Amino acid sequence: MLKVDHVTKYYDKLKAVDDLSFTVEPGEIFGLLGVNGAGKTTTFRMIMGLLDDYSGSITLDDKKIDYDVTDTIGFLTEERSLLTKLTVKEQCIYYGTLKNMSKDKIISRMKYLLDIFEIPDYEDKKIKELSKGNQQKIQFITSILNEPKLLILDEPFSGLDPINVELFKSVIEKLSKKGSIIIFSSHRMEHVELFCKKLVILVKGKTVLSGSVDKIKSDYRKKNIIVKGDISIDELKSMKGVIDVIDKNTEYEIKIEDETYVESVFKKIKNYKNITKFILEEPSLNEIFIEKVGESYEK
Amino acid sequence: MKNKLKFLVGQSLKKKVKTKWFVIANVIILIAIAALINIDHVINLFGGDFNELQKVYVIDNTSNSYDVFLKQLKMIEGEKTSYEIIKYDKQVEDAKKEINDGNEPFIFIFDNSSNTIDVTFISKGYVDLKNYQVLYNAINNTKVELAIISSSVTQEELNKIYSPVNIKREYIDKSKSSKEENSNMMMSTIFPVIILPFFMLTIFLVQMIGAEVNDEKSTRGMEIIISNVSPKVHFFSKVIAGNLFVLIQGALLFVYGGIGLLIRKLLSNNSSKLNLGIDIDISKFLSQSIIDKLIYIIPITLILMVLTFIAYGVLAGVLASMTTNTEDFQQLQTPIIIISLAGYYLAMMSNVFEGAIIIRVLSYFPLISAILSPSLLLLGQIGIIDMVISIVIMILTNYIFIKYGLKIYKEGILNYTSKHLWKKMWRAVKN
Repeated sequence: MLKVDHVTKYYDKLKAVDDLSFTVEPGEIFGLLGVNGAGKTTTFRMIMGLLDDYSGSITLDDKKIDYDVTDTIGFLTEERSLLTKLTVKEQCIYYGTLKNMSKDKIISRMKYLLDIFEIPDYEDKKIKELSKGNQQKIQFITSILNEPKLLILDEPFSGLDPINVELFKSVIEKLSKKGSIIIFSSHRMEHVELFCKKLVILVKGKTVLSGSVDKIKSDYRKKNIIVKGDISIDELKSMKGVIDVIDKNTEYEIKIEDETYVESVFKKIKNYKNITKFILEEPSLNEIFIEKVGESYEK
Repeated sequence: MKNKLKFLVGQSLKKKVKTKWFVIANVIILIAIAALINIDHVINLFGGDFNELQKVYVIDNTSNSYDVFLKQLKMIEGEKTSYEIIKYDKQVEDAKKEINDGNEPFIFIFDNSSNTIDVTFISKGYVDLKNYQVLYNAINNTKVELAIISSSVTQEELNKIYSPVNIKREYIDKSKSSKEENSNMMMSTIFPVIILPFFMLTIFLVQMIGAEVNDEKSTRGMEIIISNVSPKVHFFSKVIAGNLFVLIQGALLFVYGGIGLLIRKLLSNNSSKLNLGIDIDISKFLSQSIIDKLIYIIPITLILMVLTFIAYGVLAGVLASMTTNTEDFQQLQTPIIIISLAGYYLAMMSNVFEGAIIIRVLSYFPLISAILSPSLLLLGQIGIIDMVISIVIMILTNYIFIKYGLKIYKEGILNYTSKHLWKKMWRAVKN
C-alpha cells in the first residue's frame, strides 16, 4: 500500500503541497488531479524520492521510499524523458539496468512489450527517429519494464491517437489486475472517470476534494437530466430548481440544483410532444472539477 | 548501487569512445602529431629545392673586402653554408641583368667611403629575415675587421679578438652542474610543448561532462535516472567517466607522439638540409641528474594533473547542472577555459620572468598548479616541497568542490528555470 500522510512541501515561502494525505491499495488506480501549478509534479517527485525536504511521510508497504525501493517503482514523466541519441534497445537496457534488471530479462521483456504495442521491429531504431506517439510508447515501455509494484503515470496519453489510448488503457488495466498500485494524472477527464476508483483534486497544493469517484459524484448535489423531444427552453429555464438548459443538437441537458427537482421537471416534460428520452445522470467529473477549481481541467 | 555506478560510468565512456567521431578525431590527431614531429620531412615531401645554395655576387671596389667577408660568413655559418659566394668581375648592370634572366642572386657592392666601407645590397624582391640577419652580421664583422686591420693590429691579436670567450661556470650550490643548467634551459623550452596536451585534455573533459549532463537534463531523462540512482552516484559517474576518458585520450596522445618519433627515426637516414633542430636522441640534452629528477617529477606531476582533472570535472558537472541548455553551459565554461589558458601562458612565461613572486604564488593556485608547478620545478625555481604543497591544496580544493558542489548539483539537475538561479544555488549550499 502507498501511504501519503500529511505531507507538506515548501519552495522557499511558497507552500506547494499543503497537508496532503491519501492511500492507494494494490490493484487500485488513483487519480491525482489539478491545474498546472497545483502540486501534482511536486507530489510525484516526493513519492519518487527526488525531493526529500518535506514534512509528513510517504511509505510503500510501510517502508520509506528510498533507493532500495525504487527498483520496484515505474515512473512515466509528463515530458519525454528519453535519451534521444540511443536506440530503443539501448534505452531499455539503460533504464532497465538502473532498475537492477539483468540484460536478458530486459531484452525479453522489451520484445514482449514491443509486440503488445505493435512496434516489434523498432528495437534498433533511434529514439529521435520515432514519431511523438511511438516515443510515448517507448517511454511507457521503459516505465513498466520491471513490472512495477508502484506505477506513477503523469499524463500517459499525451500525444496518442484514440487507438493507442485504448492500447495503453488495456495494459494499465492488466497491470492493475496483477496488483500494481497505479497513480495517474491526466488532462482527459473521461480517462480519469473510466480508470480511477479514487482521486484527489488539488488547488494550489491544497486538497479540495478526495475520495472514491462514485461517492464524489453521488454526493455532488447538482444533477443533469437528458431529454429528447420538442421542449420549450425558456419555460424550463424559468422553473424553480433549474439552473440551465443546454441545447445539444439532438437532445437537451437540463441542469438542476439537486435530485428533489427531478419530479417537477418530469411533470413538465411529459406535457411536451415527441419525448423519446428522459434520463437522470450524474454530473461529469469535469463539471465537478470546474465547480471546485473554478476552471476547466481539460485542455 | 556500486553496479549502477559502474554501469553509468561505462555508458558515459561508451557514448564518448564507441563512436565513429571519436575514431575520426583520433585519426586526424594522429596524422597532425606525426606531421608536426616530422614537419621538415613533410615540407621536403611537397617539394622545393632546399639544397640549392643562394648565389651571392660580390663586386668589391675596395680590393680587400671580399676575402674578409668570405671569412666572416664562414665563421657565422660554419661548414654547412647556405650561400655560394662569387667574386663578380663584370659591371653592376650585368649582374642586374642576371637577376632579370631568372637567376636570383643577391648582389653586394663594397665601396670605400671615408675610411670605412659602404655596401649596396641588390635583390629582386624582399629578403627573408634569416638571410638578412646572416648577411648583415657578416658585413658588419667585415667592416670591424677591416677597421682593426687598418689600425695596425697584428694577426695574433686579431685571432685573440675573434676567438670565443671561454666562460668558466662556478656554482655556490655544489649540487649544480653546467650540463644540468643546459638541460634545464632546454627543458624550459620544451616543457610548454609537453604540457599542451594537458590543456587540450582539460577542454575535452569540461566539454564531455557538460554536454552529457545537459543532454540528460534537456531530455528530462535526468528525472528517470535520478529516481533510480542518487545524485551523488550520478555526479561521480560523470566525474569518473570524464577522467577515464581524458586518461585514455592522454595515453593515445602519448602513443601518437611515439608513432611520430618512430616515423622520424625511420626517415632519419634520408636526412634533409632543412633541419628544424628536432633531435630525438633525448640523451643528448638530458643530463643524468635531469633524468633522475624526472623519475619523481613525472609521477608527482601526474598525481597533480589527475587531481586537477577531478577538480575540473567536478566544476564542469556543477556548472552544467545549473544550466538549462547547451548555450548557457558554453558561456559558463568560458571562465574555466580562461583559467586553464592562464596556467598555460604563465608556464611559458615562467622562464622569462624568473623569480617572479606572482608566478610563484600562482603555482600553488588550484587548477593552475598542475601546469605551472612542474614547469617551475624543472626550472629549479621551486622545490619538491612546493609541489607537495600544491598537491595538498588541490586535495583540499577537491574536498570543498565535492562537498558544496554536490549540494548545488542535487538542486541544479532537477531545476529547469534560470529564475532565481543563484538564490536557489546559494540556499542549496547553505543547507
